[in-house]
Amino acid sequence: MTDTAMEAAALGRRFGRDGDWALWDCTFRLPAGRVCAIVGPNGAGKSTLLAHAAGLLRPTEGTVTVLGTTPAEARERLAYVAQDKPLYPQLSIAETLRMGRELNPGRWDQGVAERIVADGDLDPHARVRTLSGGQRTRVALALALGKRPELLLLDEPMADLDPLARHQLMGVLMADAAENGTTVVMSSHVIAELEDACDHLLLIGGGHVRLAGPLDDLLAAHVLVTGQDGDLDPHTVVESRTTGRQLTALIRPNGPIDEAWQTAEPSLEELVLAHLRSPEAPVLTLTGEDEADAFEADEQEADAEEADAEEADAEEADAEETTV
Amino acid sequence: MTAVTTSPAEAPAFLRSLRPRGLVWTLLCLHRAALLFWVLLVAVAGGALLWAYGPGERGLWIEYRTMRCASPDENLSCDFTGDAYLAYDMATSLGSLIITVVPFLVAVWAAGALIARELETGTAELAWTQSVTPTRWLAAKLALPAAVVASGTALLTLLHRLMWPSNNELRRWLSWAWYSDTAFRGNGTVAVAYALLGLAVGVLVGLLVRRSLPALGISLLCLGAVHFVLGVLRPYLWPPVTLTNRAEYSSLSGMPVDEGALTSTGAHVPDPCNGSPACLKQHDIVGFYTEYHPSSHFWPLQLVETGIVLALTALAVLVSFRLLNRRAGAAV
Repeated sequence: MTDTAMEAAALGRRFGRDGDWALWDCTFRLPAGRVCAIVGPNGAGKSTLLAHAAGLLRPTEGTVTVLGTTPAEARERLAYVAQDKPLYPQLSIAETLRMGRELNPGRWDQGVAERIVADGDLDPHARVRTLSGGQRTRVALALALGKRPELLLLDEPMADLDPLARHQLMGVLMADAAENGTTVVMSSHVIAELEDACDHLLLIGGGHVRLAGPLDDLLAAHVLVTGQDGDLDPHTVVESRTTGRQLTALIRPNGPIDEAWQTAEPSLEELVLAHLRSPEAPVLTLTGEDEADAFEADEQEADAEEADAEEADAEEADAEETTV
Repeated sequence: MTAVTTSPAEAPAFLRSLRPRGLVWTLLCLHRAALLFWVLLVAVAGGALLWAYGPGERGLWIEYRTMRCASPDENLSCDFTGDAYLAYDMATSLGSLIITVVPFLVAVWAAGALIARELETGTAELAWTQSVTPTRWLAAKLALPAAVVASGTALLTLLHRLMWPSNNELRRWLSWAWYSDTAFRGNGTVAVAYALLGLAVGVLVGLLVRRSLPALGISLLCLGAVHFVLGVLRPYLWPPVTLTNRAEYSSLSGMPVDEGALTSTGAHVPDPCNGSPACLKQHDIVGFYTEYHPSSHFWPLQLVETGIVLALTALAVLVSFRLLNRRAGAAV
């Protein structure tokens, strides 16, 4: 589990010579076997990042490494589903899967691909051009999973799917990830559905990594505090809102929190929204290198008093926090 | 991650080894409509040329004889065209026309359907994220169509040469010349070269423009320009034969290149006079020259033009690969 599935070092990408930077100074590391969510507002650079990992774009600066090598070298071991799910419209579903077999000799698993198609009640002889958006997504995912990838890159995979298909396909993805240890990286707008599925988070805003790390660690590193208007020093305030005399804030605690504050662990959605609303919040990257520590923290949280656990988390966060 | 490939039905090993695989299978499957169209086109053109070679020419000869065109006396009926002539003319024109048009069809298809549409819709990236490098992807897209187009065009060229009447009298009556544009293109190696150039130009423009519709138009224009320029330059691709004559222009049978007047110093000048002796004297004109290509220059002219076209093709292919290298990002 200590293998790296994907790693970026000071990755930057500019479109055109005088264009804006779609990505700049992105540095993060994703261990193998994780299910990682890439979240961020539209135009944040999520698709650009995934296309770099798939080897379809060349970094303007910095490097991106997947499965321990360059994306081009790892081509056979990664699968990528682009946002608009490109497929050849003139082929039938069966021919599309046959193409997957022909273009991935020695890797292709026809059974897996056929099962995904069959689960959607799709006629294998139907032309791709006759399919709805959601059905296309299913075929694109079948093509990607049939390749038996070690790293699966999915750009907005669930956008076109109805809730039922979304739930079912998410289940397929998770089962595959669990069974084969596939690392899944998916970008999404729908934060709620990621909470159960993902164990790693990459928040991108304005072409930059804002939050990165194991989901539990990230959540544990933040506290939602409510109370009378007051001083939040020495904590790092990500976002604060005042309603009347009531103040609600998402903070990264630096030391014990004053008893006067009501504290709660934020949900994923609260965490993401708070960071999206305050672009100036400092960057936090947790490596999640030490899994034992993370488990320890979880247990402490369950057993010991809340304050103690938060203190421990705060120290951990403090140690790894980087400010830009 | 073990290989799980379902083997096709029990077929003898050697037959199975002939089964198209990988990119070849994919290309054949994706472009089967184009392949079918190509086969039909070759069949129609080839059939027309074969018909003209056999029954067409026989019927024409009979018609020519019965109209007594062969008789030395003036025969007005020879100016009229009979049914056999009309049918023969239509068949041969169709064959020649298709050979001339093939490079343009190939260019349009290559620019639009083969390359730009894939870049436009993202299916190229779908292919590049299978276990196929963009370089192999492009190589297959050049090699397989090149083989199909070249073999079909070569077949049509052979049939066109077969159709070309061996009967001199008939050819004279039809006033067919070996150097006419369609005859020159249909009877030699340039046809295959232009078809390959069409493919290379289409691929290059497709990679450059990346949108099907503009790519289609631009590739037509590019190929048309080369076609036109080489057509104009054709007489100058091989040193012509020069005939001089004291009194008048020599009559020639071949591709005319240039003609004019000779001064006493032997210089070639444009003819300033209209045959008036005083004028000739005044301009120091002592004779006339004519430059032309006899029919023996057919192959040298063919080979030089073929060489130029193939060099342009190679250049376009080279630029295409370099362009892909830049366009396909890190995936190459």
